[in-house]
Amino acid sequence: MTAVIEASGLTKRFGSMTAVDSASFSIEQNTITGLLGRNGAGKTTLMQLLTAQQFATSGSVEILGASPVENAPVLQQVCFIKESQKYPDDFQPRHVFASAPWFFPNWDADFAERLIADFRVPLRRRMKKLSRGQVSSVGVIVGLAARAPITFFDEPYLGLDAVARQVFYDRLLEDYAEHPRTVLLSTHLIDEVSNLLEHVLVIDDGRIIVDEDAETLRGRATTVAGAASAVERFTIGRDVLHTERLGGLATATVSTLSERDRQEAADHGLELAPVSLQQLIIRLTTNPAESTPLATTGSEKRS
Amino acid sequence: MTSSTVLSPSATSGGYPGGGARVLSIARLHFVNKSTVFTVPALILTGILVVNLIIWAIIFNSVAVEDRADVGEGLQWSGSTFYIFVYTFVIAVQAINVTFPFALGYGVTRKHFALGTALALLGLAAVYSITLTLAAMIETWTGGWGFGGKMFTAIYFPANTWYEYLFVYFAYFALFFFTGSFFAAIYSRWRIYGLLLSFLGLAILIIATLAIIGATNAWGEVFAYLGALAPLGFVAWSFVPTAIAALAAFAVIRRATPKG
Repeated sequence: MTAVIEASGLTKRFGSMTAVDSASFSIEQNTITGLLGRNGAGKTTLMQLLTAQQFATSGSVEILGASPVENAPVLQQVCFIKESQKYPDDFQPRHVFASAPWFFPNWDADFAERLIADFRVPLRRRMKKLSRGQVSSVGVIVGLAARAPITFFDEPYLGLDAVARQVFYDRLLEDYAEHPRTVLLSTHLIDEVSNLLEHVLVIDDGRIIVDEDAETLRGRATTVAGAASAVERFTIGRDVLHTERLGGLATATVSTLSERDRQEAADHGLELAPVSLQQLIIRLTTNPAESTPLATTGSEKRS
Repeated sequence: MTSSTVLSPSATSGGYPGGGARVLSIARLHFVNKSTVFTVPALILTGILVVNLIIWAIIFNSVAVEDRADVGEGLQWSGSTFYIFVYTFVIAVQAINVTFPFALGYGVTRKHFALGTALALLGLAAVYSITLTLAAMIETWTGGWGFGGKMFTAIYFPANTWYEYLFVYFAYFALFFFTGSFFAAIYSRWRIYGLLLSFLGLAILIIATLAIIGATNAWGEVFAYLGALAPLGFVAWSFVPTAIAALAAFAVIRRATPKG
């Protein structure tokens, strides 16, 4: 395996605000990596640094072994689709699809045609008049049909309905299987993409707090449920990510359990259940102050 | 490992276009929506011409034959083409403000974007100048569209031959395109405060120049110099601010970042 994206001590400050705080990670070639985190956590800024749209305050980025800043050979292999993408005034989708092939040598016109039909994009309507979802579709189509060796999708499907999102996941996986490439996808619809991801980066408050294989991450935490007193006794001395109580019952999310731990839990009449990627990330990125002990369900925060 | 060599930047010359091709792609990008750069300005200019024709016809028919020469004299102060230069300015502003963040998503460097945009603007200036020169020639040949009217040969275009008109028009279009690019580049990089500061800086520069001329009692010499300049020479001087604006826009955009 070869790393095609490498960040080291990458930092971006806007005045007194630190949007990305000494991020260091690497992304292997031909993998799909999820960049997960809450709104304002620094996902977009990080992607803008990786694609040289923003200049780092300190630290370094290497894409294909070189800095992407004003580096044409590197940037020619990069496609960055972002949720807030602006289109020139009076542009219609057909103008976007006509010009994109000039910039992406691997552009597949037939594939683009199929995607336009799949997403039902009106070709001759001004971008300004399109719905939020239709604008997102245009970006998604460019990102897929461009087949850029390194593709960045930043929240690419704002306003897309569940059907359209599924079409995106399906087409991405199908095309990725036939034309492997490196994809970095930022999203907060974590459960929806969790099967897609091979690697996961979690950014919180500008810092990378998780950089792990998706498979490893899924096994990283377990929910323990049962009588409050038993749960309390079991969790003593363990790394507890989250606890919830409801009357005499309690659940706790704890880090990886060994076989012996599992046996012990069973002996105490406790039930064990796997934690979904989404739940795990909510646990990891929720401030302790925000999770109330009496909360009855996972407190999913979306601002 | 073999697949990674295919993707390494050093090995891309075969499958990926070089810098020149990137610059041309950017230039083409500015023309992909033809209605903004060709159809709309052509329609509005035609509309203005038609309105002018009607007004000229009314004036022409309401004055005595012996006064018509006087009327022709007055009609040369026509600002009806002014709109096209304002539109030119707006095109340049849009080309940078909106197309810049769009092109960055296509994996284009700022340098290639700036060069491609300059190429597109020069091309547009050429097309517009040729069109207006043709209109100026028709206006001359038809004696002001049959009514002694002046729109394309107004006093602001100090020219007599077709190549003089071409020169004057091109100089004006280039001036508006590149000053538009300059302010748009400033806005792209430093937003509204940058724009306000650059207006302020420009005002100070102009006032300082006037003050220096005044303080050194050089007004006489300045007017003598300007008076000695042929009108065409005066127009030629516009290439100085045009070139400064173009170079400054290039320098500013090299470190600009997209908004939001």
